[in-house]
Amino acid sequence: MPSDEDVAIRVRDLYYTYPGGVEALKGVNLEVYHGEVLAIMGENGAGKTTLVKHFNGILKPSRGQVLVKGIDTRHASVAELSRIVGFVFQNPDHQLFADTVYEEVAFALRNFGYPEHVVENRVRWALNLMDLWKYRSKSPFSLSVGERKRLTIASVLAYDPEIIVLDEPTAGQDYHQKEKISEIVRLLRLMNKTVVMVTHDVEFVTEHVDRVAIMAKGRIIATGPPQKELCDMQLLREARLVAPQLVKLSLILRKHGLLNELEYERRADKLALKLTEVLKGGADGGSPGL
Amino acid sequence: MMVRVSGLSYRYPGSESWVLRDMHFEADAGEFILLVGPSGCGKSTFARVLNGLIPHFYGGELLGEVEVCGMDPREHPTYEFAECVGFVFQNPENQLFFTSVERELAFGLENLGLPREEISRRVEQALREYQLAELRDRSPYELSGGQQQRLAIASVMVMQPRVLVLDEPTANLDPFTAARILALVRRKTIEEGVAAIVIEHRLEVALPFATRMVVMVDGQVVDDGHPVEVIARQKHIVGKPRALELVEHLAREGIYLEVEKPSPEHVALSIVRAYRVRKLAERRRRRDSS
Amino acid sequence: MEALQAFRFKRENTVIDRADPRARVLLSLSLAALSLYAQSVEKQLLIISTVLVVAAVARRLRKLAGVMKAALPLSAIIFILNWLFGPQADPVQPLVLALRFLALSTSLSLFFMTTSPDELSLLLESMRLPREYSMLVTMSFRFVPTLALDVEAVMHALQSRGLELERGGFTKRAKNYLYLMVPLIVYEVRRSLMAAEALEARGFGSPRRPTRYQELHAKASDYFFIILLALYIVLFLVL
Repeated sequence: MPSDEDVAIRVRDLYYTYPGGVEALKGVNLEVYHGEVLAIMGENGAGKTTLVKHFNGILKPSRGQVLVKGIDTRHASVAELSRIVGFVFQNPDHQLFADTVYEEVAFALRNFGYPEHVVENRVRWALNLMDLWKYRSKSPFSLSVGERKRLTIASVLAYDPEIIVLDEPTAGQDYHQKEKISEIVRLLRLMNKTVVMVTHDVEFVTEHVDRVAIMAKGRIIATGPPQKELCDMQLLREARLVAPQLVKLSLILRKHGLLNELEYERRADKLALKLTEVLKGGADGGSPGL
Repeated sequence: MMVRVSGLSYRYPGSESWVLRDMHFEADAGEFILLVGPSGCGKSTFARVLNGLIPHFYGGELLGEVEVCGMDPREHPTYEFAECVGFVFQNPENQLFFTSVERELAFGLENLGLPREEISRRVEQALREYQLAELRDRSPYELSGGQQQRLAIASVMVMQPRVLVLDEPTANLDPFTAARILALVRRKTIEEGVAAIVIEHRLEVALPFATRMVVMVDGQVVDDGHPVEVIARQKHIVGKPRALELVEHLAREGIYLEVEKPSPEHVALSIVRAYRVRKLAERRRRRDSS
Repeated sequence: MEALQAFRFKRENTVIDRADPRARVLLSLSLAALSLYAQSVEKQLLIISTVLVVAAVARRLRKLAGVMKAALPLSAIIFILNWLFGPQADPVQPLVLALRFLALSTSLSLFFMTTSPDELSLLLESMRLPREYSMLVTMSFRFVPTLALDVEAVMHALQSRGLELERGGFTKRAKNYLYLMVPLIVYEVRRSLMAAEALEARGFGSPRRPTRYQELHAKASDYFFIILLALYIVLFLVL
């Protein structure tokens, strides 16, 4: 049983009903551990974003409890919780308002009461990290879509929250932008941050994530390492998720006897080596599969 | 040829730089053309030339030869293109204007001045075909994202365009729903010979439906051809789905696969075929030697 | 926020909903006109009760009560100010004015509660208003819930960066709310540009006269309503 120190966010029997009457969360239990990278997956409407909006108090439970580092979210304001939980929204355009990129990043730091010389240091650090320092005097609205996304990430990283929530970080991003987001997630891991990401991108998940929590119809139906959960075709069907490409491929190969067990190989080069042995081994009259 | 573009260059009003540069492009009936490229390469700008939004809505300077449905956008206003070119935008919210599905479907036809009986006939047919019949009185905000996008496509298809342009139509949808929407578009290209030009970033989702792939970088067309071949050449720009990465790694090990369609299922089956061919060859070799 | 609910249309299936929107608008406008004309407290109360009865028939009594609740403070202010600064220390006139305010707001919101934005635009078009203008009205209504969601999204985004909107004194919080303005305005301007593009892409703006797919057709029951209404007006004026 993981001790309380290991648990960054504890969700206990969480129910949430929207003001319009829709019950979006039906008894969710979850523990987010320090330093892990957790992905919350499921189809649109399963409750993923509703769930993570409880982590910084944007939504308060209708029933049940959410504890962030021991603090009950019902007793804290969003601004207070945001010091611990940095939320990067899917759409950067909902929050850009400052005259310059610099001011945009400084905003959160000033709200949290940091002295100006600290603000300056942190803004410079965050903007450099996201390769945006050269735009510091430009208007945020003049940046491209990908740059605006990096700007929102910089704004959150600047005040160094312990937990970072990413809402669909790869949605609408082109190949290069996705690579950049990959780098950022790797960096966050190095910085020992706890990262929770809401995403559909199974390929991204297989690359970066320690654990997945799969949601369907307001409940978490499975948690576990991606190697295990993303191979469970019945689970994926129930959650209306698309399996990673190599998993789909491996399943067909298993059906035709080329692979023995469902080896979830997430790297194409490693899988290629295995298959080469099978194909060349088969040609030597050896037994099929491994 | 539904679309014929040659030497196309364009710059926005007041801008020094050319967003589109000397583009050559053609599209014929029945094609499903996947248009890709890094953010800012001019894909969305090019899409808007095809229905006259450029130059009429945006102004600016348009050079070169452009012919869509036999019309040059410089000589015909946007509303004349509406009969022949259907445009589906990324965000369904901003292209649904009414509070009932039925009215939304009728809108474009009202603008075309068709007689009421014809409008009624087409609306009823669309309600059936796009599975919107039970939703006919609903308002767009009562619909899910997938339903909204289906409605957006239906509202455009009901005008019976010859060319369909979709600008990141699945950006806000989960992969499962995205695949269904694109399958719908592919059906239209097959059944009605519509020429579809689809801008998408998520290759894994869109590739299975594409008959052709065009890559743009910095306002120019840098590649145009069979999807699998184009990806092999441009993977550093557009990324490469895992299944095709696997094909590449296998090739390095000396195993060459013939893949006509870039989906994991097809790659898996071609691996199975290769395996069977080798087993057969081996059996023959053993028989001959004994 | 509840006051806004009054302008949110929700579909029901009552006699009032099935009536032609022209009959409904005549009802609301007549009641409003009578309220402006009447000078006695009793007549204002009569109008308000009529509105309540119609709302009950339309199964929207609770919603209408919400509107009245929201209008009560302003109504009270009208009463107090007119009483204090009126020519005589006579409470009757101020009471009439206060009740008139309630009568006007409830009778008009009754119309909007029972009329969908599409019906409203059909109504305007039947009065020969050009399509561009009737669509302005329809689209404004259609986007109100969307805008409400946008306000919420901007609020959450800024709160998540430490903007305190839940604690603290009134002035500080009010000042903080000002930060929402810029992102909201930029976002909505962008949205309206995208909607304009989409409208053009669907053939809007052609000089050709668009077909009117749906039209209003008055039924026998609508004429019956109008006759009832006329009777009511006559009795009201005479008694």
